[in-house]
Amino acid sequence: MNQTEYISIAALNQYAYCPHRCWRMFCAGEFTDNQYTIEGTTLHDRVHTTSDVQRGETWQVRAIWLKSEQYKLIGKSDLIEAEDGQIYPVEYKRGRKGEWDNDELQVCAQALCLEEMTGQPVNTGYIYYAHSHQRQLVEINAELRQSAIATIESVTNLLETGAMPKPVYSKRCQGCSLYSQCLPKATDKVKSYQEVN
Amino acid sequence: MGTLYVTQTDAFIGKVDERLTVKAEQKTIMDIPLIKIEGIVVLGRATISPAVVNELLERHICLTFLTQNGRYLGRLEPEATKNIFVRKAQWQAVGESEPAIHLVRGFVRGKLKNYRHSLLRTQREHPDTDLNNNITRLENAIAPIEKTSSIDSLRGLEGAGSAAYFGCFQQLIKTPEFKFEARKRRPPTDPVNALLSFGYSLLRHDVQSALNIVGFDPYLGYLHVERYGRPSLALDLMEEFRPLIVDAVVLSLINKRSLTLTDFTTEPLSGAVSLTKEGLHTFLRTYQQKKLSSFKHPVMGNKCTYQESFEIQARLLSKYLMNEIDKYPPLVLK
Repeated sequence: MNQTEYISIAALNQYAYCPHRCWRMFCAGEFTDNQYTIEGTTLHDRVHTTSDVQRGETWQVRAIWLKSEQYKLIGKSDLIEAEDGQIYPVEYKRGRKGEWDNDELQVCAQALCLEEMTGQPVNTGYIYYAHSHQRQLVEINAELRQSAIATIESVTNLLETGAMPKPVYSKRCQGCSLYSQCLPKATDKVKSYQEVN
Repeated sequence: MGTLYVTQTDAFIGKVDERLTVKAEQKTIMDIPLIKIEGIVVLGRATISPAVVNELLERHICLTFLTQNGRYLGRLEPEATKNIFVRKAQWQAVGESEPAIHLVRGFVRGKLKNYRHSLLRTQREHPDTDLNNNITRLENAIAPIEKTSSIDSLRGLEGAGSAAYFGCFQQLIKTPEFKFEARKRRPPTDPVNALLSFGYSLLRHDVQSALNIVGFDPYLGYLHVERYGRPSLALDLMEEFRPLIVDAVVLSLINKRSLTLTDFTTEPLSGAVSLTKEGLHTFLRTYQQKKLSSFKHPVMGNKCTYQESFEIQARLLSKYLMNEIDKYPPLVLK
């Protein structure tokens, strides 16, 4: 039995957005299926069920599993492309470019997996924002790599201990789908609350 | 929509695509999108199709069975949430622990303060009623709560406060045909007790569902621990809501004469009183309306319905047990 626990690449994105949300989704299991628990499904099997196409100069493959043994990462890519032998990940996002850098982090994690899987360096990636139909270049530079690796460590630690990061209210709470479960303002509200007699 | 109450005897609950249908005597009496349903309560007997059972479990919709008279029989319990952290904190606080004592104080204080406000309001609206003595007795039960550390003594204060409140409940009833002497349960032998018991049954279903959603084990409580197999935590969290919702609904139905003695039937021998079919529908309609009416949540400061407030209180309870907030604020409304 292989007991290795992999971290879902999506968890990194959530953690960068809000550690408490990441805890709720990946530790407390609120509103996540087990789509991430894909241990034992080897990438190899998957690749053969996924179609790849050649579009002009660009080779494209959609929806394949990405995995890294070094970082214990696993996840699904939206799109992997190769041009002139250079391979890079493309991550799809529904909305506009967010204010947070969590999407870049996710692309970087995908790049780390790709590097391990192909044995060649991956120095760029893209985020495709469906709302604006635009691709945004993500440079997989040393700084981003470091921050991705640091996040991987934090998430590993979170999943191992289950210790709940306290919810902290900020602008990004607006539009969070777990707001009513989390009630980030409760701590302050309860502090200042005076019960009537 | 919220909770769906099925009262038709031998109704058939089925599913068509993403909709729930209730049929009785060859006629479709209800047809509701599943997405709008948060809970189902069946009163009496109903047939539920296997497809519906699956769907309810998948969607985490609770199905509760009550007898025709509203006595609780049991429920179809979807898989508990994966949030074991809440349950772990809940179990850790069992017994005479610091958090258990704090919570029991909150449950008892919340209920008794709401009782008191209810009496004060009646006194304001009907200057001819004299409830001073009972209000004083209630205040005497509330005052020592914060200094009382034994859960048994807190139960005593709760009992004294409840006795003071029900001791003058008759004076809250402004319709001469309805008499109330004391709380009588299992079975209730007068209309007022029948309404109270029935209302508390429905409330229990709602509070228990909220606890389930948040991740609690509803069977492990702090104030109610005397019997295994009772949803003790649901009974605990219900306390503050009893006067706010059920008593308010019962008094309003009686005082506005929406219900009269003709809406009740009495069983021979046992003397158990229950609602007629029409009475039942009137009660359920009013209870549902009450749950969907909104107020400003005193702690969170936003508008919410009573239905939503069950979950808010359950979340505050979990936050207290998980050390996110330093006190549990029961819902106390003026």
